[in-house]
Amino acid sequence: MNISPSEAEQALESIQVMVSRTKKLIANSGAYNFLILWGAVWLIGFLGNHFADGQTAAYIWIALDILGGLGSAILGIRLGRVVRTTSGLTSGRRIGMFWLLLFVYCFLMILITSPADGKQLAMIIILFVIIGWVAMGLLLSVASIWWGLGITVLALIGYFLLPDFFFIWMAVLGGGGMIALGLYIRSRW
Amino acid sequence: MAGFNEIIHQPIRLQIMASLVTLAGHEEMDFTSLRELLDVTDGNLGAHLRKLEDAGYITVKKEFVERKPRSFISATSNGRKIFQEHVAALEAILKNE
Repeated sequence: MNISPSEAEQALESIQVMVSRTKKLIANSGAYNFLILWGAVWLIGFLGNHFADGQTAAYIWIALDILGGLGSAILGIRLGRVVRTTSGLTSGRRIGMFWLLLFVYCFLMILITSPADGKQLAMIIILFVIIGWVAMGLLLSVASIWWGLGITVLALIGYFLLPDFFFIWMAVLGGGGMIALGLYIRSRW
Repeated sequence: MAGFNEIIHQPIRLQIMASLVTLAGHEEMDFTSLRELLDVTDGNLGAHLRKLEDAGYITVKKEFVERKPRSFISATSNGRKIFQEHVAALEAILKNE
């Protein structure tokens, strides 16, 4: 079969278009929405820590975590309609079990270490969430590890160098950063 | 022409393979999503998928999800390799222009 250069060029262009459209389809199915959702949870939660009293902030976090969990489940179902992993349900259950166990271990850690204040408590939770994020990144999408490590560095800077502004720092850079990253992925794809 | 593949080169099949190799190795795409992406009819897509499946470039899994029949499509490792070789052959044509 003889192919002219212009036909080859046309074929390569159609491949590029399909690659781009496929990425966009996956992105539009909701992958970036996880970042926006949890960014909003962090933003509101940490602002609550900064401006509200301890009891109220705790209630805000509980409500946000429930909303975040429900939202993630809905987004996960929507994402699975377009693309799913070949091991499907088994992987989904294992990932769900991983996060459940991680939160149980996080709770045990908090119980044993009895954090001195809200900042230590928040930092332990942040570190456990990032451990989960990085572990998921190693299994599913290596590129996302760098964002997890970046947020770790930001959290450590806030904790050690800006203790008075820690909650605001995490709200704006942690939560806001996740929202910005989600919007960036959405626009780039 | 080394690497050039006549089965894959057909425009719809080329687009199908381009879309499927964009997914990670462990991922598969829903039939309806692929049809909307290509803007083709069920019958047309089905015929091209059969051709690619017969060649061993893709796998089609049919199952019931919430009592509705659904098909999930993925590129095989051989299909990915053949597609990359086909792309390399197209690029070679342009370079030798």
